[in-house]
Amino acid sequence: MRKRLKVLSSALLASSLLLSGCSSKKVEPGSKPGYDEGEEYLSMWVHVIEDTDEGRAYRQSVNEFNEKYDGQYFADVEFVPRNDSGGGYSDKINASVMSGDLPDVLTVDGPNVAAYAANGIIQPLSELSEEETSIYLPSILDQGTYDGKLYALGAMESSVGMYYNKDILEKAGVEVPDGDHPWTFSEFLDVLEKVKPVTDELNGYPLAMSFPVGEATIYYYAPFFWSNGGDFVDETGLEAEGYFNSEANKETLDYFKTLVDKGYMSSVEIPDLFESGRAAFKFDGAWEVNSIYSNYPEIKLGVAPYVVGDHWNGERYTPTGSWAYAASSATKNLEGATKLVQYMSGVESGKTLNELTNSLPSTYEAFDQTEIFSTDENYKALYEQLSKYGHPRSITPAYPQVSISVQQVLENTVISGHDAQSELDKAVDKIENKLKRYAS
Amino acid sequence: MKKKTQSLMGMAFFGPALVLLAVFLFIPMILTLIFSFTDFFALNPSLTHFTGLDNYIELFKNEEFVLAFWNTIKFVLIIVPFQCGGALGLALLINKVAYCKKYFKVAFFIPVVMSLAVVSNLWIQIYSPEGILNAILSLFGIPAQPFIHSASQALPSVAFMSVWQGVGYQMIIFLGALQGINPALYEAADLDQTSAWRKFVDITLPEIKPICVFVFITVTIGAFRMIVQPMVMTGGGPSMSTYTVVYDIYQTGTVNWEIGMASTMAMVFAAFVMLLTAIQNKLTADKEGAVESPKKRLFRFGKTLEEDEEASYVEQSTEA
Repeated sequence: MRKRLKVLSSALLASSLLLSGCSSKKVEPGSKPGYDEGEEYLSMWVHVIEDTDEGRAYRQSVNEFNEKYDGQYFADVEFVPRNDSGGGYSDKINASVMSGDLPDVLTVDGPNVAAYAANGIIQPLSELSEEETSIYLPSILDQGTYDGKLYALGAMESSVGMYYNKDILEKAGVEVPDGDHPWTFSEFLDVLEKVKPVTDELNGYPLAMSFPVGEATIYYYAPFFWSNGGDFVDETGLEAEGYFNSEANKETLDYFKTLVDKGYMSSVEIPDLFESGRAAFKFDGAWEVNSIYSNYPEIKLGVAPYVVGDHWNGERYTPTGSWAYAASSATKNLEGATKLVQYMSGVESGKTLNELTNSLPSTYEAFDQTEIFSTDENYKALYEQLSKYGHPRSITPAYPQVSISVQQVLENTVISGHDAQSELDKAVDKIENKLKRYAS
Repeated sequence: MKKKTQSLMGMAFFGPALVLLAVFLFIPMILTLIFSFTDFFALNPSLTHFTGLDNYIELFKNEEFVLAFWNTIKFVLIIVPFQCGGALGLALLINKVAYCKKYFKVAFFIPVVMSLAVVSNLWIQIYSPEGILNAILSLFGIPAQPFIHSASQALPSVAFMSVWQGVGYQMIIFLGALQGINPALYEAADLDQTSAWRKFVDITLPEIKPICVFVFITVTIGAFRMIVQPMVMTGGGPSMSTYTVVYDIYQTGTVNWEIGMASTMAMVFAAFVMLLTAIQNKLTADKEGAVESPKKRLFRFGKTLEEDEEASYVEQSTEA
């Protein structure tokens, strides 16, 4: 018995030693280079490791912030690696919510702002003047707003492009419309009909598209639903019934089905179809421009405005959003945290990020000051689309389920041929199930 | 006094292991059990309530979990026979091969050493509509197959790739067992002019039976834990045809933040696998007494000694 007690106590002692190593300690002035007496300490977490272009951009921006606010604030950035599926960084946040060790400022992926806000992980930023907010693209403000309050601001924006192969369209005799007059669903079918003989000859398809698992599917194809008068959830983000399974969304699914049935797209994903010059169009993120420029210089790339529904009336419809900064609910220095968020998402930071990672900035000024958006027609087209027609992804605390559901519904109905209405209804049940927790 | 220092020494040796096991295994297991009765939500732990058996009841009504469960069973049913049989077959072949033995051993073992994510990416290329496998099929006039892009072919395709990846490890274990068989047994069989098949059934199989049981159980448990291959290759699709239970646990806990529900899934699944393993163990161990208790073996050993003595006595007496 005594022996057992001894074992137990030694085990407890050892584990308490182990755990004590993990507890947080207060940072004193002078303990970090650059942190001087009289400065307020602001901790910040970002979701990448330092030894990446993005990480270096963050480091540079933090250094600039510390220089600008020398004597007033000191920002200390910690780089938390995040794996592809989103673990790592978010695990650390979840654990810190429990232990109360959240930093003053943290990065949040755009679509997660609602969930973090609804669960009190982040708090609204301190009041910003109209002048301060007017520097941002409207899409970045929309993304960071939940329940009428501004929670997050980002330095990066993103968009999607309907990329086309100039050689193929020229051969097919197709003219691309300007950004304010995109092809409608029906017009686009005519275009594809014209293009098909050319791509058939190349042993390809008019469209290089598929519905991959992950965030890509909702990102690339949500514009089809939005511009056709549909949506996934209501304005509050707490109701999916009647939105996700609306008549308009069913129509959009039927449209995708037509694309497969007429042989405009392959039901099986063919890797690098567009990159190998055998497809006329491809839907992809804004990053694709840089990837094609550097890896497939022989492709003559153009950006056409995204296709819209037949009854589109100029509404915003192209998806936006990226990682943003927010003040955590644990910060006692909201004023300072807001200043840090503003700086990190501001013009200079946006320019630095663009320089190092080619991401689109989030402020008008950064766009104006970056040459490539006036000299390169493709980047210019993307920027115009983003600033005029950018639409944040659904703002709802159940966003992960919405994203998964959109992918599943597209795959199940368009590729596997299941009934559209029952798939949409099933998706609504799943989303509502996740939303139950937020019903007041 | 000596006893006291000895027990202290013992504790010093097993203490660190105990602490690590406790921190990384026992405590998480106990927490999982506790969480499985709550509605623990990772983004808002302060709102956690005990919900009794609600999660367990809801789980069996959860279509995705049930689907994932059946998919996992299908994976196990394909992987276990092919991987065990394949490993044994390869081991027998390598045991017989006279040349390049090392080459074959290494060649079959390489996939085991490679990371699952790398192997999965490799097979995405192999299974691609314009990939090497379809190119080979077209040589035989077979039209291109969608493989991992079709709801009906994805599961067998992923299972086949898993068998290919894992088979080398079990092969090495079988090879060790085969080389441990006393050659005198085969020589005796040769004297009786026994066929190769009878030698396999009557000598090889009984001799390696304990190893077979071990391989069988480890492969089964491994197949139940399938997640990386579908995650990398298909994302659980198309139409959830390769969505497994462990994948569902991951999605529920990490992506949807529902730790409570994910814990319930993990508990139910762990209980199921444990039960199955126990049944497997019982079924395979009891027949013919291949896996004997040490006591039994000692008893038999004693008996054979007696018999041997008896035999030698008979021998001596006849000689005399």
